[in-house]
Amino acid sequence: MGRDTPLSADQDVLVDANIFYAIGQPSNPQYQRFRRAIQHADVVCKLPRRVIGELGGSETDRVRTALDKGWAEIIDAPSPTDGDAVAASDIARRTIASETTKAEHEVEKTDAILAGLVIQYVRDRSTTGVVVLTDDQPARKGIENAVRAQGYTDAITVYGLADIIGDDPGDSMRLI
Amino acid sequence: MAPDHEHIRPDGGIDTLDPPPIDILTEDTLEPETLAENAPRLETVVELLNRPALARVYIYICYWGPVTPPEAMEALDLSKSTAYEYVDRLVDLSLVDRDDSTRPQQLTADPIIIVEQYVPIVITPTVLHALALQEVDEDIKYFVDRYGLGKLIAALRGAGLHFAGKTTQRMVASDIDVRETEAMMIIYALKPALAVGREHDPFFEYLFPDVHDEMDLPDLDEIAGAPTDSSDPDR
Repeated sequence: MGRDTPLSADQDVLVDANIFYAIGQPSNPQYQRFRRAIQHADVVCKLPRRVIGELGGSETDRVRTALDKGWAEIIDAPSPTDGDAVAASDIARRTIASETTKAEHEVEKTDAILAGLVIQYVRDRSTTGVVVLTDDQPARKGIENAVRAQGYTDAITVYGLADIIGDDPGDSMRLI
Repeated sequence: MAPDHEHIRPDGGIDTLDPPPIDILTEDTLEPETLAENAPRLETVVELLNRPALARVYIYICYWGPVTPPEAMEALDLSKSTAYEYVDRLVDLSLVDRDDSTRPQQLTADPIIIVEQYVPIVITPTVLHALALQEVDEDIKYFVDRYGLGKLIAALRGAGLHFAGKTTQRMVASDIDVRETEAMMIIYALKPALAVGREHDPFFEYLFPDVHDEMDLPDLDEIAGAPTDSSDPDR
């Protein structure tokens, strides 16, 4: 269909685990649109191990399928130690707490740490362009605020699934 | 009765141990006559909860009706004998009204609701739809087999909050005590129940008093085969 996506081959694409669930099963048009966008941009989705946890339950089969097909890979992103990265996780935590009207200590660690992982990734690899994909609104705002506050807006762009494949038209939903 | 925000929680009230106040039942509500009137309704809902395939036919007629038996057969991919068996049962339970004055017959169904604020229990068309989807959605089937209906309702509430941007999927996982990837899986699997429910379930606000009009979900107008006539004339 030739839809333009904001992805390009010179960027690293870090994804949150929810992307693999938001696109549905391999038979789903959403899945196919996403896989095409990834392959068309000639990138591989990098999934931090910290973010996916153990692959084991049958609900993780679809992640394994993407790994097997080669358009996704698990990376061992180190926990944030860099000052900017640690601060980024704190900012993300505060943002998520505010968005969800929860106390900061109730924010899931993994949601908050993604912002730090991304900045640490940029620092360690001194790469110029990283795209982060997550389908979680509060988590996305957390990363965006952290990236802006720490001055990484040139190096890191945050997108949702709709930015890559458009809004879900619902054509893949079985209603009844 | 206005929805009570305090008693609808993401964990669906599982493991709630506090007994309700002793005075919530009165002589009037405990009249044998009143209890007898409510008994069939209770049986009806229990049967729907235990038979997701039956609930699926009920929800189809409720949301898509009036429909004819052949339409139900085709839409739900049921054999003729199965479709008629389910419709007969739903008519027996007084859940479905069959108009015999026309050929083919027209089937309609009123939406049902049971809310018990102290447990709490919320059974609405959206809940029954979520339950019924296990007949055609392997993710929902997996979740119900593993965790049961109570957690499915809790996940439904969590999914609604997620699509309204009020919680993260990992928070839902933690709230209802399932693996993060399982929460992610079930949240997306429940999308159809939320997308149809917010348009056609007149009791949608009972489960989502806070976020019923804030969910980012596909528009039914764009989806082939979506129900068209709203049972709620206000929408």
